[in-house]
Amino acid sequence: MTSDKAIAVEKISFKDAVEIAKKGTHCGMCRFDFLESGVCPAGRKHGFLAYWPQGRMELVQQLDSGRVKPTEKLIDIVNSCSLCGICDKQCNFTTQLRPEKVAKALKDFVDNFDKNEFQNVSEDDILRGLREIVGEEWATNDPCIIASYTMSILPSNTKLNYYIVMPENTEQVSKIIRFANKNNIPFLPRSGGTAFSAAAPTVLAKGLSLEQGIVIDLYRLRKLEIHPESCTATVGAGITMFELQKEALKNKLRALAAEAGAHVCSNIVTTGIISTWGNRYGAFADNFIDLTTVDDEGDIKKHSDWERNNPYSTEPGFTNLSLTPHNIVTEAVVKLHPIFDDEEVVLVPFDNLRDAYRLLIKLGKRGVGLSLAVLSRKYLAEFLSPTLQISKDFDYVCKNYLKLNYVVSVICNQDDKKIVEDMVDYTIDQSLMKSLILGAPRFSTLKDSEFMKILSEEEDPLNAIFAGPMRDHLEKALDPSPENVSKVFDDDLQEFFKKVYSKPEMTDIVWLHAFRILPTRMLRQQMFMGPGGAMWTGDENHYLNWIQMFSDMGDKLNVEHSLGFITPLDHGKFAYMEYDYYYDHNDPDVCDRISKIVVDSMEQSLVMGKVLTILNYLFKGIYRKEHVLYPLAEGISKEEQELFKELLETVLGEEL
Amino acid sequence: MVKFLSEEWIEIGKKYILEKLDPVKDLKSITTSLLGVVEHIPPDDITMNFYLELEGGKLIHFIVNTGDTFDEKEATYEIRGNYGTYKSVLQGKMSLGIAVLKNRLKVKGSKMQALKLIKPLDGVIVSLKEITDEFED
Repeated sequence: MTSDKAIAVEKISFKDAVEIAKKGTHCGMCRFDFLESGVCPAGRKHGFLAYWPQGRMELVQQLDSGRVKPTEKLIDIVNSCSLCGICDKQCNFTTQLRPEKVAKALKDFVDNFDKNEFQNVSEDDILRGLREIVGEEWATNDPCIIASYTMSILPSNTKLNYYIVMPENTEQVSKIIRFANKNNIPFLPRSGGTAFSAAAPTVLAKGLSLEQGIVIDLYRLRKLEIHPESCTATVGAGITMFELQKEALKNKLRALAAEAGAHVCSNIVTTGIISTWGNRYGAFADNFIDLTTVDDEGDIKKHSDWERNNPYSTEPGFTNLSLTPHNIVTEAVVKLHPIFDDEEVVLVPFDNLRDAYRLLIKLGKRGVGLSLAVLSRKYLAEFLSPTLQISKDFDYVCKNYLKLNYVVSVICNQDDKKIVEDMVDYTIDQSLMKSLILGAPRFSTLKDSEFMKILSEEEDPLNAIFAGPMRDHLEKALDPSPENVSKVFDDDLQEFFKKVYSKPEMTDIVWLHAFRILPTRMLRQQMFMGPGGAMWTGDENHYLNWIQMFSDMGDKLNVEHSLGFITPLDHGKFAYMEYDYYYDHNDPDVCDRISKIVVDSMEQSLVMGKVLTILNYLFKGIYRKEHVLYPLAEGISKEEQELFKELLETVLGEEL
Repeated sequence: MVKFLSEEWIEIGKKYILEKLDPVKDLKSITTSLLGVVEHIPPDDITMNFYLELEGGKLIHFIVNTGDTFDEKEATYEIRGNYGTYKSVLQGKMSLGIAVLKNRLKVKGSKMQALKLIKPLDGVIVSLKEITDEFED
């Protein structure tokens, strides 16, 4: 076994570091403490992305490409990293990458660089003005810092003609905007940057990014207060969903949460928080009591200001696209929801989508459950498996032996659990899910086993495994334990992961649903693009044909694809669906195909009608769901289809 | 050199549109009016506007004013944005459509209708790009 120290100082070439860095997907999980391992001290202290593991990885790529030359600031960036190894633990959990090796290679690069060659970056009038607002330390025009924001708000092909500024309160945001306007400089806010990261390798990058100007990094707006009496929380724009959920849980409350790394305020703005808890907890403006916003003139407003014009409505129709937020939300007072003592997970396995969908919508309309979703086999495999290879084998076993293609996942209290169990023949419970998490490595090795062959010959393998005597055999075969699952990690991290997997929450499906630390595993060294949207559920065939359209596109363009999830909204009258395409973001050819899927699937969805596509969702989260989802969108006409194409041509230009 | 929003800009713009653009072919016989409000004009951070009216694709009015309203005529559409955004559009760095979708230019009224207008107005924008080559710093 290699010791911690030996691994930590292991030397790799700059070229190898670039190869590791290229696999990074800007998931942002290194910016908050989701494993109780601590969080990067340099990032926490300095704030700018270049000081975080994620930013260092991007910086290494940008230095390698020659887009940025070493500046004196780079010395400070590398010196701020003590090679403490926290980033390796966090990143390895989700992506199996080792960012510390990249940080070490960057240190070596700087050590060997001719000291006279470091560029000195001078302060200009704009920077001086920004520093007067936020303080010397929190505004920069340093190219090395700017370059680290590539792919998470900045495109990869522009000059580094930007400023990064980190305000600490709403008033400073307001002043920055007024200053930007006075100087006619464009600006864009940034929180986690994860939504842009997903778009960055595609044709959407141009429309969603900032072409020049001021990036307002909202990380320092870190107010977080729980108000147990009113079941609300005041959340600053720098707070992630995980951090909110953690504080809420201390008060036996729960927030409607998207992915762990999503920032609460920006997630509200961007999509209105798409979550499997949405049927019960709400969507769009249901999520908050109040918002503090700064508009593009720098005026500070609150939604609760009774004199202001209705801030909850938005124009309907397919042309109502918005590529940037209308306002910067600097603070939100969000709703929290009670956690019940008797909450549990019930998973209902299916071999076909129609039956799974039918059950989901029935439960949604009856108001059963707190969290409701159809999850695909691919989702389960990605989430539960500690490594990419195990996820592939896990998927294979489910598909070829168990015929386990979908599960309806229900988080509910005991009353609702009984309702679900009465509706179906068999379920998967918390205990078996725990075994699947801790026994995932063994489960994946069963693919050539006699046990699986026998099971696959059963008329209904799902029944045999989940309701029959085979279940005990399976649990035994899995040999689930924190020790066994930790063995798949690098030698020096095994002890750490043994402790991680020993924690009850790591196998508690209710906790995992609420804290959502596992979905980032979909970004394991590759990207995914998840188009979809919300469709009316009044016509089952219409809905399923819509999903089939995404599947056909994946086949046609030869991209790995799978349904992600379906979750009901508005008492089951709508259901949100994400269809995922997995691809290598460093391969330009597949990026082009993904772009085509994004554009074509949106056009086809609009032609089909009764759907609000993900692009129509963008930046509508602060409005009432009644204004966003209704009136039901009719399928667009030929003339409108032409207009849509022209519109996209305008937005995407020759890149389309 | 013709400076954006100057009297000369209006005069040359009018002449260019009338002489070079075909009302049917280039301007699709469009009948509409547009108020373009330009905010944060340097060096004194003032606001100006231009009013443009077309009837059957023929230019009827092209007027520049100070302030953010034009009292004599009520435009069908109002597009509002800062000087830098208009400059980017007229320099060809950003299309009118993307400026609207990025909320750099705010449309008063239906975005659907405004976006439908963009195509027929393309000729006008191209004309203004051709003649405008001086901006405030």
